[in-house]
Amino acid sequence: MPEDPARPLLELKSIRKDFGGLRAVDDVSLDVPKGAIVGLIGPNGSGKSTLINLIARATNLSAGQVLFNGENISDLASDEVFRRGIARGYQEPALYFKMTVLDNVLLPVKDQRGEQPWYAPWRRYWQGDEAAHAQTAVDVLAQVQLLQHYDTLASDLSGGQMKLLEIARCLMGRPELLLLDEPTAGVAPKLAYEIFQQIARLRDDHGITLLIVEHRLEILFDFADYVYVMHLGNLLAQGKVDDIASDATVREVYFGD
Amino acid sequence: MINIDIVATAIAVLTLFGIYSLMAISLNLEYGVAGVPNFGKALFVSIGAYTAGITYTRLLPLLSGFEVIHPCGPTMGGALQLRSEIMATQPVAGFINLGLTMLIAAVIAGAVGFALSYVTLRLKEEWFLALVLLVGGETVRIVVRGADDFICSHNGISSVAQPFYFLDDPRTSSLLFMLLALALALLAYLYSERLIRSPFGRMLKGLRENEDVTRGLGKGISLARAQIMLIGSAIAAVGGALFALNTGFVNTNDFVVTLTLDVWVMVVLGGIGNNRGALLGALLIALMDRFTQVGAIALNMSGSDVEFNYVRFIAFGIILIWMLRYRSAGLLPESRLTTGAHDVVRRVLEK
Repeated sequence: MPEDPARPLLELKSIRKDFGGLRAVDDVSLDVPKGAIVGLIGPNGSGKSTLINLIARATNLSAGQVLFNGENISDLASDEVFRRGIARGYQEPALYFKMTVLDNVLLPVKDQRGEQPWYAPWRRYWQGDEAAHAQTAVDVLAQVQLLQHYDTLASDLSGGQMKLLEIARCLMGRPELLLLDEPTAGVAPKLAYEIFQQIARLRDDHGITLLIVEHRLEILFDFADYVYVMHLGNLLAQGKVDDIASDATVREVYFGD
Repeated sequence: MINIDIVATAIAVLTLFGIYSLMAISLNLEYGVAGVPNFGKALFVSIGAYTAGITYTRLLPLLSGFEVIHPCGPTMGGALQLRSEIMATQPVAGFINLGLTMLIAAVIAGAVGFALSYVTLRLKEEWFLALVLLVGGETVRIVVRGADDFICSHNGISSVAQPFYFLDDPRTSSLLFMLLALALALLAYLYSERLIRSPFGRMLKGLRENEDVTRGLGKGISLARAQIMLIGSAIAAVGGALFALNTGFVNTNDFVVTLTLDVWVMVVLGGIGNNRGALLGALLIALMDRFTQVGAIALNMSGSDVEFNYVRFIAFGIILIWMLRYRSAGLLPESRLTTGAHDVVRRVLEK
């Protein structure tokens, strides 16, 4: 199938999620163009994290479709979605805390020969691959300034480092689309800005498309190309950063003025 | 008081240690490394023992050119005599039979472990599998206990013999059998150590730490867990076959839930996720096994009414609770293992 350059990388078509009687996401349709940094904002409980979970297929859709590169991924499991090229971060860092930084980033590498139990006991079948993955990990860890900590347990990192490690872990899966849920939550303001600089480099250097849930609008607005605003499970507004920043409804919902 | 033959006791304890080690290593791979709570260890051990019961009465005569004598009921004596004759005069047939027994046991147990866990883990979380295995183990035991042709129902089958039976000196033959059990335990230990220090081991530990995240990172978690259940169950079945050879008979009463709990005590006591811990746990339990048995006999002979055998259950319960409360990582906590990737990065940094 010839690829349509105008086609968005990710398309949500009227997706809905009900938790019992609660409609967490109600008929949301949005597009994420290739190579863009797209922000997803909204007050607490507006359904942003649920939306991320739906795209990553961590929960099931109640209705609607998720298209990635034109393919309907609504019925895939989360491991298949990752293998298609969608990686995600979590609001609370969900690292392997009892493993080293290096093991954290090596685990998500796709199609490792040493992950086959029949090959695993025989090191010579996979140690070449493993060394190559370690080399890649060196580059990725250096990029997020965690290389010196490669042998540290993930639980011993600071909050900001954990966020960066999570991003590094996603990168090892070579994603096309990265979903980040509050990448700066619980991080000092200066480091938060640095994290966003890293994120921008992911797009600029690696061509990764990003969909980011973020509460720190002042930082997000410096980096995002396009912003969607959610409120009570609905899409309230969308537009370029300047339009959203001056949008009266958004200001009312968000800041109460 | 009774006289204790130190050498015979040592051989018995070490043989038991080898057999228990196989069981403990298999549970350590499943639960300690991959986080699959296998509460059906007795099931997989029993598959090994039942297989031995069947091969030694049906396969062994065929291997040595005799007609099979039905081992249950009135022909039992004849079958037992035939087995003794073959094992005493045709050691090669005995060894071939042993090898086949272990192979068949490992294949059947591995297939059962894989199939049960793959299906149930796709339905629900791992504790559901734990219950399925717990109930499944009891169900299989009750069915075997009731089936006449299998291992002679509740009577059990006593035609199982260890492969060095042909030697004249019983001490030498039990010593060699001990070495066989220890050698198999060593093999299982080396194999599982290598397995843990690999990307496969890393993925299993990831599963144990956070199942959802590991799945979200592209890993087929049901398959990986079913694979480790296949490996663990096969090892446990080899242990079960040795267990049957060691006692000399196969009886369903040996494979009640207590056996599963014994193996759990070994792993929890020794160190969850640490193979050396599993070995230590197996040794301590083998020692305690002997100690309580000798103690029970000694007390009995001195005319006491105390049933010392039950001390074992009380002691195990106390150990389990005490360990979980004060030393949940076990006597030998899990150590950091690496695939060798850390060395690669260290060399890069040193340049």
